[in-house]
Amino acid sequence: MKQVIFFFEAHQPRRIRPYRRNEIGKNHDYFWKEKNEEILNRVINKCYIPMTIFLIDNNFPCSISISGVLLEQLLEINSEVIDLFKEYFKSGIGELVGETYYHSLASIWNFSEFEEQVKIHEENLRKIFGIKPVTFRNTELIYSDEISFEIKKLGYKNVLTEGTDEIISKYNPNYMYSSVAGLNLFLRNYRLSDDISFRFSNYRWNEYPLFADKYAKWIYLTPGEVINLFMDYETFGEHNWKETGIFDFMKYLPLELKKYDIELTTIKSFAEKNVSKGTISINKIISWADIERDLSAWLGNDLQREAFDFMISLNKNRNMHIWRILQTSDHFYYMSTKMLSDQEVHEYFNPYKSPYLAFIYYTNILEDFRITYCF
Amino acid sequence: MKKVAVLGWELPPYFAGGLGIHTLNLYARLAKFFKIEIYIPKFDSFSFHYPFEVKMVDFRSKFHSPYSSNPDFFELVKAYNEALVENFKDEDVALIHAHDWITFLAASRIKEKYKIPLVITVHSTEFDRSGNFYPQKRIIDIEQLGLDVADTVITVSNYTKNLLLKNYKCKEEKIVTIYNAVRHDLFYVAERSYNLNNLILYFGRLTPQKGPKFFVETAIKVAQEFPEVKFVLAGAGEEMDNLKRISGKFLNRNIFFEGFVTTEKARELYSKCDAFIIPAVSEPFGITVLEAMSAGAPVIASKTTGVAEALKNILVADFWDTDLIAEYVISLIKHRSLRKELGQNGKMEALKFTWDRTALNTLEVYRKYL
Repeated sequence: MKQVIFFFEAHQPRRIRPYRRNEIGKNHDYFWKEKNEEILNRVINKCYIPMTIFLIDNNFPCSISISGVLLEQLLEINSEVIDLFKEYFKSGIGELVGETYYHSLASIWNFSEFEEQVKIHEENLRKIFGIKPVTFRNTELIYSDEISFEIKKLGYKNVLTEGTDEIISKYNPNYMYSSVAGLNLFLRNYRLSDDISFRFSNYRWNEYPLFADKYAKWIYLTPGEVINLFMDYETFGEHNWKETGIFDFMKYLPLELKKYDIELTTIKSFAEKNVSKGTISINKIISWADIERDLSAWLGNDLQREAFDFMISLNKNRNMHIWRILQTSDHFYYMSTKMLSDQEVHEYFNPYKSPYLAFIYYTNILEDFRITYCF
Repeated sequence: MKKVAVLGWELPPYFAGGLGIHTLNLYARLAKFFKIEIYIPKFDSFSFHYPFEVKMVDFRSKFHSPYSSNPDFFELVKAYNEALVENFKDEDVALIHAHDWITFLAASRIKEKYKIPLVITVHSTEFDRSGNFYPQKRIIDIEQLGLDVADTVITVSNYTKNLLLKNYKCKEEKIVTIYNAVRHDLFYVAERSYNLNNLILYFGRLTPQKGPKFFVETAIKVAQEFPEVKFVLAGAGEEMDNLKRISGKFLNRNIFFEGFVTTEKARELYSKCDAFIIPAVSEPFGITVLEAMSAGAPVIASKTTGVAEALKNILVADFWDTDLIAEYVISLIKHRSLRKELGQNGKMEALKFTWDRTALNTLEVYRKYL
């Protein structure tokens, strides 16, 4: 029987504020309180609350990751969302997925730093939800053979990554595979995922409007055992507003799938009941970001690389928490200067509207951090 | 064949300000599609060949720069406009296109006399030229007349469009914004190392409107922290002595006055500088921004520089906020990656501004009348 897995990534960064040079050495308050609260409140009301209630009310199975930087912000301004998540996980129908607390790029430059951030998050999830995850989703699906060994070492059983064009030219993404380290490997079906996350409310799309019956038929016609639909949690209510019909779509989808005898499940539960289709080696680093599906969304230009190297150089310091919040991938994402269509996505998320300002504020802050906290 | 009669003022190589550059580049292209006749004041030794017809208007007076503060200048303009009306030949003329207030008196009378549609381009207003200090009422009145009688008004930026809406109550539906462009063949620089040259550039006339004072203020702030950085002002103008005075002890150590520079020298400075700053108080467009970008220079522009509204790959500040401009300069000095990304992406962005594009957008306006 074919199954469908929804995986949702819930994450909001602590955005840094426009930090002026004349504050260096004087002001160590780096984060943009008003902006972060404004965005978070919007997302809470448009997505986190209604969507989590939706999951509970509809007994909707899915796997979710919630970044540590999001959880700590939710605890500060609205713990209702956390209570809803608790209720959802308590029902046993959903799965909580692990990652780095800081939603960082640590896995690509320092495995001991990576391990530490994963463990901080595990401790955090244990305290809040009393759950130890068995499935791991690295920041923005960043993955390679080497990284899979590290994830395995940390005790995880399952891992998610992107079904890139190169991979799916050789392997059908709609099966469960094994990583070289022996983890169960799930590949995102990017076309069917993006139909919901990017195209659902695009009226210029030739399949617009997308209804549950049509989409269920596409899934039915797709060969394989498991369809991996991985996307931002904010897809529901935030990137696609309630008015687009996204919640109704999700409500009717399980019913339409049932007509084809297709069920929803979680990664954990699928992995427990199925066997791997074979081992896949992915020796270069991939991700789900931009058209390139590599690290170029965060480290594609000189601004990003200089800022990243500068951050790393401050590793001996007296405030690891702040230093790690400054590792959150979004800070580098805002510095992207790609000219093509992906840049529109970067700009949509960029609170400074300019990659150059993102860089200037970030490096100003690092200069203060160096003076204030470094040995 | 229907003709477009252009009421102009300057034409390179004579008196090549922004208006002259615009006139030459625009009509060299439009002449491929329409018969163009350009009226300009008569020069003594005129021996250049243009791809359009040039009609010299003799008004028996001495020629002055249109932007000089010479008190006789207004009378000169009036004399030119009277001569324009007398010399104007309406045969086959289907459209008049007049540029700036210096031709608007004649334009309105010709339109009235021959009932020919009128397009005007506002390259700058009296509010820009005066830097908002003591704008001359009699000139504003002429601008108002031109705006009232014109069938279509072309502005070089939405910044200027908004000025026309606010200060002249011009009808919005009459206004079309068409951006200026740059001769990439003169300024484009393919390769740059973006190694630090410790050179920050100002290029423009030294008049209050262009804000060189704020460049000098910025220089003094940066020089206190980075004494090795050189700030170069290229261009001449009435503010020179005053600027030298406020440069104080930084003069000839951090702040240098190049005076008038040739196009070749300008390109060299653009291609070497670590930042090009245009702190204009009120600049309708700012072609130098595109020149600097074409040469790969990182640009810091004031919000009151028209072209800035159309650019992503620049840094922007209020013209008076020299603390912020100085911070941007310091970031550029400290970070090669910032110079490189701003410079390279800016160059790609500037390439979108071509005179072909400007001409085609102008052609769309003409098509309504021809």
